[in-house]
Formats: sequence, structure tokens, C-alpha cells
Amino acid sequence: MNRVAYLLTFLAALCGTSLHAQEIAFEAKVDRTAFAVGESIRLSLSLTNAQGNIGHPDVGGLTVVQGPFESSSINFINGQRSSVITRTYMLTATAPGDYTIGAATARVAGGTISTKPIKVHVDKGGGATSDRSLNEGQKRDRDLFVTIDLSKEKVYVGEQVVATYTLYSRYPNLELSDYDLPALNGFWAEEIDIGETNWQEGLRTVNGLQYRVAVLKKQLLFPQRSGALKIEPLRISCIVNRSFFNRGSKVETQSNTVTVQALPLPGAAPQGFSGAVGDLRFEARTDRQSVKANEAIELTLTVTGSANLKLVEAPELELPPDVEHYDPKLIDRISMTGAGMSGSRAFQYLLIPRHEGDFSFGPFTFSFFDVAQGAYRTLSSGPIQVKVEPGTGGGQASIARPSKTDVQVLDQDIRFLRTGDAQLRPKGRYLFGSLAYVLGIGTPALGLLLFGMWRRRSAARSADVDGTRRRKAERIARKRMKEAHNALERNEREPFYAAMTKALQGYFADRFALGVAEMDESTLLERMASSPGGEVLAKEATALIAACEMARFAPLEERPRQQLYDQAVDLIQRIERS
Amino acid sequence: MRSYLFLLTLALSLGTASAMDRAGADVSMELARTAYTNGEHATALALFDSVGQEWNSAALQLAIGNCHFKLNDVPRAILHYERALLLEPGAEDVKANLELARQRTVDRVNELPRFSLGSSWERWIGGSDVDQWARRSLWLWSLTVVLCVIALLLRRTLRIAGLSLSGLSLAATLVAVFLAAGRTAQVRDAAGAIVLQPRIEVTSEPRAGSTTLFMLHAGTKVELRKTEAGWCEVALANGNLGWMPASALERI
Repeated sequence: MNRVAYLLTFLAALCGTSLHAQEIAFEAKVDRTAFAVGESIRLSLSLTNAQGNIGHPDVGGLTVVQGPFESSSINFINGQRSSVITRTYMLTATAPGDYTIGAATARVAGGTISTKPIKVHVDKGGGATSDRSLNEGQKRDRDLFVTIDLSKEKVYVGEQVVATYTLYSRYPNLELSDYDLPALNGFWAEEIDIGETNWQEGLRTVNGLQYRVAVLKKQLLFPQRSGALKIEPLRISCIVNRSFFNRGSKVETQSNTVTVQALPLPGAAPQGFSGAVGDLRFEARTDRQSVKANEAIELTLTVTGSANLKLVEAPELELPPDVEHYDPKLIDRISMTGAGMSGSRAFQYLLIPRHEGDFSFGPFTFSFFDVAQGAYRTLSSGPIQVKVEPGTGGGQASIARPSKTDVQVLDQDIRFLRTGDAQLRPKGRYLFGSLAYVLGIGTPALGLLLFGMWRRRSAARSADVDGTRRRKAERIARKRMKEAHNALERNEREPFYAAMTKALQGYFADRFALGVAEMDESTLLERMASSPGGEVLAKEATALIAACEMARFAPLEERPRQQLYDQAVDLIQRIERS
Repeated sequence: MRSYLFLLTLALSLGTASAMDRAGADVSMELARTAYTNGEHATALALFDSVGQEWNSAALQLAIGNCHFKLNDVPRAILHYERALLLEPGAEDVKANLELARQRTVDRVNELPRFSLGSSWERWIGGSDVDQWARRSLWLWSLTVVLCVIALLLRRTLRIAGLSLSGLSLAATLVAVFLAAGRTAQVRDAAGAIVLQPRIEVTSEPRAGSTTLFMLHAGTKVELRKTEAGWCEVALANGNLGWMPASALERI
């Protein structure tokens, strides 16, 4: 212990004077702490700024595949010298588990310095290469073989399986000339892009033999039906050992046959299940919460997770009838890796509400088969409330209305009673032919008849002027004769004769329908001839009239006035009587 | 319900005891309508029937028919619908109900094709009731007389025009009288009848036990040709003839 203290004091003094940056270090490093069975890791032990003897480390159950390799380097930076001695081991594990690489020690200038232990974890193997297929392949051909490996052998219908096609070769020089991919019956397959086929870094030990390994292809398989689904072997042909001097030789080989046990989905599928199998989440959302009528709103239904996403179909959309919608736009963000198919698939709907109001979209549901739980699950999202405000073009400016359907007749029934006045009439009695009807017809007819008769009589009377004159002749004549009689009694000559002339002339004119101008003997004779004794009367009348006229204007009176008057009265009476 | 029964008995006593006057008939009609609306079809039928003893109209016959229909007596419903149709030819509601009732009868008689000018012509010719054309003829006749009188009081051209109008009116009057006579005869001498017995044999002679020609079922409409000692000679719409007991029928 004293020696160590002495040394440290000495070193501290040395550093303090000239080389204070020259610290001694001893480190152990691995390139990764987690790896798979068959893979190798690199363990590096670095001794800095010292010359010493590095001891063999305890690798704790791991196998040293290669090494140790020793290297050293010296650097001068800003006049300072530093040196590193590195010892490298390649380690591998034959069985999975947790391993501890123990501390390594180095003797430096009489003392020892040690590293810290490192813990590493060993997996079953990233490619999940089963020992069985490796062993089978190796048995077929020790130098060159191909394997098909499945990530899972027992799956549900629709669940994804990763199939890996791997080439193992011990030939130092190999050219792949041709390979036949197996036909896949009962599967829907998706290629996983793994880039260019290259040899993997490092070698792999299989049952003590070391191989170079290349993954030829990776596929995602989705069983489409239940049962044992067989994958036929992969056949390859290669040319080996070709060189400048050698044309090489052709080697053919084929892989193992694998079988996928596809289990049917248990139980009855819920409504809306469209075949999605995996582990999924579901979300529905709209781009806006408020929109104007006749403006578009975007509804996105997103399915996210790890499943056969490319087979996911749009969930059923239940929307109010006056919301127009179009077929959805599909937005896929799907990646296919060795872990399987994952990502999201979104269905983007364009909705156009045609009327204002508060709308509720959804809830939207999506059903899938949850592999982890081994049961169906139905996810629901929403409902989404959207407020639609009146549009600029008027709320009713619908371009396309919801499709109309015919009114369905559910049942038939008789029509209802008549409302209002029943228009009741006495039973069994008819107006036509009744007394009232006869009266109704008869009364106007009688009225018409009476009117006609009255009309006829009055018309006849007004038409017969001569008759009227004749009827009135005596009455007028008598009136005038009375005037004459008055004049006679007063003994007035002139008025007596005037009245007599007027009375006689008027009487004859009226009695025989004559004008005053026609009053001469011949006309009077003609008119009176028809009656018996008419001629005598006519002559007497004319003579009387002439006598009256003579006496009126002549100075002499031939006959007494009283005689003339009596004769005139007598004459009129006789004519009236005849 | 109790007040209903009271009113019903009141109305029935009114209807049977004495001749029902117009006001009483209107009250009964209103009661019957209320009962029908409330689904008490039997009550409504009794009330309508009491009105129907004295009064008649297409609306009343339709109501009685509806009651029978609701009480599942389809043949009587058809009878009353036919009566309503006779009073008001071409009435749309009656025709619809009759069509529906006919669908429930057993017999399907193919009617001989008949010349028809359509419902509106039928309605126009038939009028809303039997007396309509008689009333119209009276009005037209009065118009004719008035026009004639006016024309006689006018002179020259105006008189000629008035007389022409009067002549036209007279022609219309004659047509109306003709139609009124036709309609009255049609209703008074209605020859149709409805079979009311569930099934009846139509025989070749008016005698029980003679050859059965065909069978008829309730609700079928027949035309009466002759009546003889309780037997009727009936003709079907398709022209078949036969005899059946008068008791199995009821005249429209």
C-alpha cells in the first residue's frame, strides 16, 4: 500500500511539473449491449497513456469467436503525447439470457487497474430463425441452404405473419442466379421493402459451422381462410467459386416447407365488422365545429394501429338526411416493416349541410378483431356537434335535395262521413210531378198568359183610332150642340152657327173617319152608302152643313135657328141609331 | 256514456214516436256523427237509421253504409253506398267506399262494358240530389217568362234579342224538365237490388227445387226484372238471368 501511495505521489509530481494531462485510464466497451443468439458483439479493452499487461477478461458464459486482436496508437496534440492500447474480442452467445462480462485488469507500472463489468442481454434471435429450420437446412446441404421463417405459426384469420427468406452460405464466392418464390395459396401477401440484398455483417454459427447470411426477402402474410395453410419451399440456384480462372459450378437448393395454422375468428362478428384484425384505435373528427349552410365540412374517420390496414373498409356513415355527403377520400399512412403492417388509414368525407341548425354527426363505430384479447371489439367516436349557420345564398338554396321515396300505403279504409249540411230531404217525395212543381210551372205560365191578354187588348185599342173617334163622335157632338143650344138661347147669331158647323163637321169627321178637308158630299156619300138609307142621310147632312155655313157668313137667315138645331139633333140621333 | 245513452233513447223515441221534423233530424245527425267519430258505430247506426226513416240524402246513406262497413256488415254497406250513389251519381267518396266494400265480397261479376262520359258528366247529369234538375227547370222556366215579358215591353231590335234569349231559356227549360223527369224516374223506379243472404241459389223457375243455375253471395248487385209471388227474376251485370226469393234481396 505504501508503494502505491509513493507511486501516486511520484506521478502527481511528474504531472504537476510537465505532463499534467497524461491521465491513465482503462476502459471496457461493447458495441451493443443487446444482441441475438448467433450474432456477435465486439468487446474492446482500451488502456490509455500507459504501457502495461492487459489480462484476459472473464466473458461470463459468452464464447470468444475471434480475437484477441491488439492494436496501439500514439497521438501528439499540441505537443502533448497520448497513447492508446486496445485489445478486441468478438463474442457470441449460444443461448439467450443475461450475461455479465467481468472486469478486466491491467498491470501498469507495478500497480493494477481494472474495468467495470458490462451487462449484456441476448435475445432469441432477431430473425426468429428457429433452430429446427436451420437444422433441417443444414442437413440438406452443409454449404448452402435457404430457410423460411415465420414470426408466428398460429394466427387468426386476417392476422399478419412476417415470413423471412434467408440464405446461408459457406462458399467464399457466391452468385445468386435465380430463385423461385413459392406460390401462396390462402394468403394475401404484401412485400416488405428491405432494400438491396446484401450479406449481413459478421458470420453466424450454426452447429459449430460459420455461415455468411443474407435475407433474400421479407413478406407480410395475411391468412384469408382458416385451416393449415402450407407455404411451398423456395428454390434457388447459385453459381459458386467463379473466378478469373474458374467458371464456377452451379448449385441448387430449396428451403423447408412451413405451415401456418390459421384459426377462425371466434364468435359472431358484430355489425359493421369488415375484416380488420390486429390492434387498432379509432377516431372521428371534423375540421370545423361551425359552418355555413351549403359550405363543405370535412369529416375524417381514422383507424390507427397495427393490423391488415389495407383491408380496412370505411365504417358505415349515418348522417342526417339533409346533409349531403360524397364518397370518402382514402388517405393511407401505412408502413410495412419486419414488425408488420402499421400506420393509419383515414376516410375523409366531404359533407355539405343544406340547412342551418344544430347537427349531430355520429356516433361513428368501428369494429375489429383484437388479436391480443382474442375477441371482437367495437370502438366508437363522437358524436360530433356541428353548428350550421344560415348560408349566404339563403338557407333554402338547396341544389340537390335528399332523394325522395314513395309514400307507402300501409292499409286501406273507407272515407269518413261527410261534414257539413247533410242536405236531408223528405224520403220518397220528389219535387218533379208534385203539386208544388205543377204550381211552379203553372204560375209563371198563367202570368204570361194574362200579360199577353192585357197586352193584346191595349194594343188593339191603341191601334184602332177610327173606332175611338167613332165611339167618341156622339159625345163630342152633343157637347158642341150644347154650346150651340146655349148660343141659341142667348140669341147670339155668330157663335150659334160656328158651334153648329163645328159640331156637325166634327161629328161626321169622327163618325166616318174623315179629315176635315175631305168633308164634301161625294166622300160622305161614299162612306154612308153601305148603311141602309145612308144616301138620304148623307144628302141631308151636307145640306144642313151648307145651310149653317151660309147662315153664318151670309146676311140673310133662310130658316129659323131653332129649326136648324132640331134638325141637326134629329139627324145625329138617326145616324147613331142606324 | 250514460248521457249518450240518454240522448240516444231520446232521439230514438223522437224518431219513432212521431214524425221527425227537420230540426230533430239535424240533432240526431250531429249525435250520430259524434258517436261515429268516437268509434261507437252501433250507436251511430241506430241514430242514422232513425233519421233515415223520414229523411234521405246521399250523405246520410253514405253514413249508414260506413256504419255497416265498420260493423263488418259489408253487404248492407254496399246497399247503402248504392243508394247514396243513386241519389248523387258520381260522388267520389261514395264510389271509393263502394270500391273498397266490393273488394270484400265473394262474387266477381264482370260488368258488360258501358258507355260512360266519365264522373264529372255523371255528376253534372245526376245533380247533388234527385230534385236538383226539377228545381233548375223551375228557375229556368221563371227566367223564360220574365225574359219574355221584358221582351214584349221593348221595341224593335231589343225585342228581337229579348225574345231570342227567352227562346234559348225555353230550350234550356225543356232540357231541364226532361232531365228532371229522367232522374226522378231513375230513382223512383230503381231496378237494382243487393243480395243480403250469405249464399243463395238462383234457379231457372220461381219455384223451390227447380234447376239451380248459379250461386250468388252476399253483396252482389243484381237487376230486378219481374216480381212474382215472393220471387224475383234477377239479371246479373254480365247478362245471366234467374229467379231467387225476394227475401234474399233488398232493393236499392
